[in-house]
Amino acid sequence: MKLRILIADDHEVVRRGLCTLLQTHEGWEVCGEAKDGREAVEKAKQVRPDVVILDVGMPNLNGLAATRQLLQQNPQQKVIVLTITDSDHVIREALDAGARGFVLKSDAARDLISAVEALQHNRMFFTPRVNDMVLAGFLDRGHNGSNGESPKLPTLTPREREVIQLLAEGKSSKEVACLLNLSTKTAETHRSNIMRKLAFTRSGI
Amino acid sequence: MPVRILVVDDHPIVRHGLRTLLGGRPEWEIIDEAEDGIEAVEKADRLKPDVVVLDVSMPRMDGLEACRRIRKNVPKSEVLIVTQDDSPQMMREALGAGARGYIVKSDAARDLLAALEAVSQHKPFIAQNRGQVGDSE
Repeated sequence: MKLRILIADDHEVVRRGLCTLLQTHEGWEVCGEAKDGREAVEKAKQVRPDVVILDVGMPNLNGLAATRQLLQQNPQQKVIVLTITDSDHVIREALDAGARGFVLKSDAARDLISAVEALQHNRMFFTPRVNDMVLAGFLDRGHNGSNGESPKLPTLTPREREVIQLLAEGKSSKEVACLLNLSTKTAETHRSNIMRKLAFTRSGI
Repeated sequence: MPVRILVVDDHPIVRHGLRTLLGGRPEWEIIDEAEDGIEAVEKADRLKPDVVVLDVSMPRMDGLEACRRIRKNVPKSEVLIVTQDDSPQMMREALGAGARGYIVKSDAARDLLAALEAVSQHKPFIAQNRGQVGDSE
């Protein structure tokens, strides 16, 4: 039986590249494509892929939030995060969201096949230069209790993160409500909660 | 005679994608690839392609500087800029650097073929506001 892969990237030129690359591997097929995180979550429900490859920087719902939703939907879902940045923050967020693979876009042509193979055999995969950084970070935290990183947004719920991305993209509360199937009032409540929480964060710095 | 194309982007996965998108036309031939501006200038000097499909944001030398040099060294080579940046300023800079065409990466799948066709005939092609595309001639 073929390994079925769902790919999500907002740039079709990248999706074409990913398809071309993945389909050269015998026994794999790209069973679906999505142009943002929300579509990826929906498509995963329909096509039940073995592996989902998600770009991080996508509109509507970014790849990290989509990873969380995919794992919530199916805790066994294997997700590879594809990103242009290897910042410690994004790596930690990806791990925290439950991704089992982390590949830099610049290295994708070299590493993506290995990453999918690793997940196919129930292993994890991290782009080699990320591996070192993650290990160093964890060791450092082990010694110091803290790594001195910039503060995360731990108090925001996954739903609030979805809302803040949409607001940051310039959408109104009404549009947010429509996209997330909420009432406008609920969207506005999320908005004011976010403002309150971020204001607390700012005043605490 | 085929249109000879040099594809330049620092991400191999994007080069794969561009190859796939351009590969459907038998009259177009991708003669080589480059992963930064310096390599693009060197290869354009040597291979004299008809069209250089050029990313802007690249290490060592960006696409705008590469465009200026390619246009100076090999005037017969036309440049089609494919960039992530859809600002009017970037468009002006690209055209100022001598590019004949300008499209945005997120719309590349839609615009690339028409843009390449225009540029290969030495006609300008500008993707406008990610929604309206026009041949400005």
